[in-house]
Amino acid sequence: MVGNFVLPLVGIACAGLAWWAASAQVADLPSPLETWEESKLYIMEPWAKRGEMDQGIARLAYYSLLRVARGFLLGIALGTPLGFLLGMSTTAHRMFDPVIQVLRPISPLAWLPLGLILFQKSEPAALFAIAICSMWPTVLNTMSGVRAIPQDYWNVARVLRLSRLTTFTKVVLPATLPYMFTGFRLSLGIAWLVIVASEMLTGTPGVGGFLWQEYNSLIYSHILLAILTIGIVGFVLDRVMGVAEAKLRSI
Amino acid sequence: MAYIDASNISKSFPAKSGPRHVLDRVSVSVARGEFVSIVGFMGCGKSTLLNILSGVVPADTGEIHIDGRPVAGVSEHASIVFQNYSLLPWFSALENVRLAVRAARPQWARGEQRKQAERYLSLVGLGNAMHRRPNQLSGGMRQRVAIARAFATEPEVLFLDEPFGALDALTRANLQQELARLCSAAGQNVTTVMISNNLDEALLLSDRIIPMTPGPRATLGPPVAVELPRPRSLLHDEHAVRARTHVVESLTDHVHAANARRARMQSRTGSAESAFVAADSREADI
Repeated sequence: MVGNFVLPLVGIACAGLAWWAASAQVADLPSPLETWEESKLYIMEPWAKRGEMDQGIARLAYYSLLRVARGFLLGIALGTPLGFLLGMSTTAHRMFDPVIQVLRPISPLAWLPLGLILFQKSEPAALFAIAICSMWPTVLNTMSGVRAIPQDYWNVARVLRLSRLTTFTKVVLPATLPYMFTGFRLSLGIAWLVIVASEMLTGTPGVGGFLWQEYNSLIYSHILLAILTIGIVGFVLDRVMGVAEAKLRSI
Repeated sequence: MAYIDASNISKSFPAKSGPRHVLDRVSVSVARGEFVSIVGFMGCGKSTLLNILSGVVPADTGEIHIDGRPVAGVSEHASIVFQNYSLLPWFSALENVRLAVRAARPQWARGEQRKQAERYLSLVGLGNAMHRRPNQLSGGMRQRVAIARAFATEPEVLFLDEPFGALDALTRANLQQELARLCSAAGQNVTTVMISNNLDEALLLSDRIIPMTPGPRATLGPPVAVELPRPRSLLHDEHAVRARTHVVESLTDHVHAANARRARMQSRTGSAESAFVAADSREADI
C-alpha cells in the first residue's frame, strides 16, 4: 500500500518541487501554479474547438493518437512480415541485417524531410516518418521470436506432416506471438516519441503541433501542458500494451 | 522382405575433433505387426537410429524400406512419440490431437476429425481433461495426449522414442499397460519400434528385444525373442528372467569387449579406464 501509492506520490512531489525551484530561477519558466492557471481552460474543456490549434487538450491528444495509430499500424504491417522473413530465412537475414542496422538509428527529424520530398504533403510524410522509425523493434523482436522456436515444435510440424501454411498458422505464429507483442509495445513507444517531432515540423494540429505553436506565441505554460500530456498518454499506452503482452505470455 | 527393412545404416555428426561416428552399418528388420524394442545405454545412438528409421533425419549411407517403399522424410503412415511429449502449449489436448488428425485425414469432415480425436483421448483416459492445455496437465497426462495423438491417425508404423523416460515409476507402469492395451487392440495393423533404456519396459511390451552396443560406432547385438503370453504383468516368469539375463549379458559383453579394445589402445590410462567401466554399467537402467 505504502510502496504502491505513497512512494510514487512522493516522487511526483519531488519532481514538482524541482520544477518549482527551477521556475524561481528562470524568469521565462512558468511555475506549476502558473501553468495550471493558464492551462485550466484547456483541461477543464478538453474537447473544445476554438480554432485550428486552439483546442482542448484531449482533442489535441486525440488527433495525435489518431496519427500515431495510423503510422504505427503501417509500421507493424511492414515490420511483422519482414521480421518473419528474416527469422525464417538465413539468406534474407544475411542480406538485410546490415541495412537494418544502418537504418535503425536514424532520427525522425532526418526521415521527415525525405518523406516531404517523397510524398509532397505533410500528412503522409508524418506517417512515413512514424512508420519507418517505429517498425524496427517489431522487425527485430519478431525475428528473434521465430529463431527462438524450440526444435520440438518444428519436429511436431515435421512429424505431423503439416503443410507450410498450417505450420505457419498453428506453430510459428503462436510461438512468436509474445515476442511480436513485445516488439509492438516498443514500436508504439517510439511512434509516440516521433509524433511530436513530425507535428512540430509539419505544423499539423495535435499535441506536438500545439507545443510548437505556443512556443512561437511565447505562451510557455502551454508548452509544459503539452509536455505533461505527452508523458501521461505515452505512459498509458505502454501500460495497455504491457497488459496485453502479459496476457499473451501467460499461455 | 520384412515390413521395416533397414540395411547398413551409418551416421556421423561433425564435431570439433573430426566427425563423430554414431552408427556404423546397422541393419534392422521388423515384421508386420511386430513390436520391437531397441535397448541400450544412454547416449549410444538409439535416438539417432530411431530418427533415421522414422525419416526425421536422413542417414549418411544405407537404405530403409517400409512396406517395400523407400523412406524419404516422415511417412504419412507413421506416428512418432517423443520422450518430451512435444505438444503445442497454446492448444488444448483436444486441439493438439485434432491437428494431427486434420493433417492425416484432410478429406474427413471437421466433425469427423473432432470425433476421432475425442475417441482416442477417451481411450487413454482423458475424456474429462481434453479441453485443458498441456501446462494444466501432469507429465503422465501429457504423454497420454501424445500417445492419443499418435494413435488417432491410425498409423501403420509407430515409433516410440523413450516414451516413458520422463515419467515417475508409478505413472510409467500405468502408461506401459495402456500402451500394451492399445497395441494389442491394433493387432497386426500397427508395427512398433520402441527405443528404451529400461529392460523391464521392453520385456513387458515387445515381441523382440535388440540390444544396442554403446557408441561411438554403435551396432546391434543378436535379438532376443520374448515369447510370453499377453497381457503380461510383472516379470518373475522364468522365461522373462532368462530373456532379461540374456540381454544384460549381451550388453555387458559388448561393454567389456569395447573396454578391452579401448584399454589396448591406451594402456597407460588403465586405472581411469576401469572407473569408466563402472560408470558405464550403472548408466543403463538394467
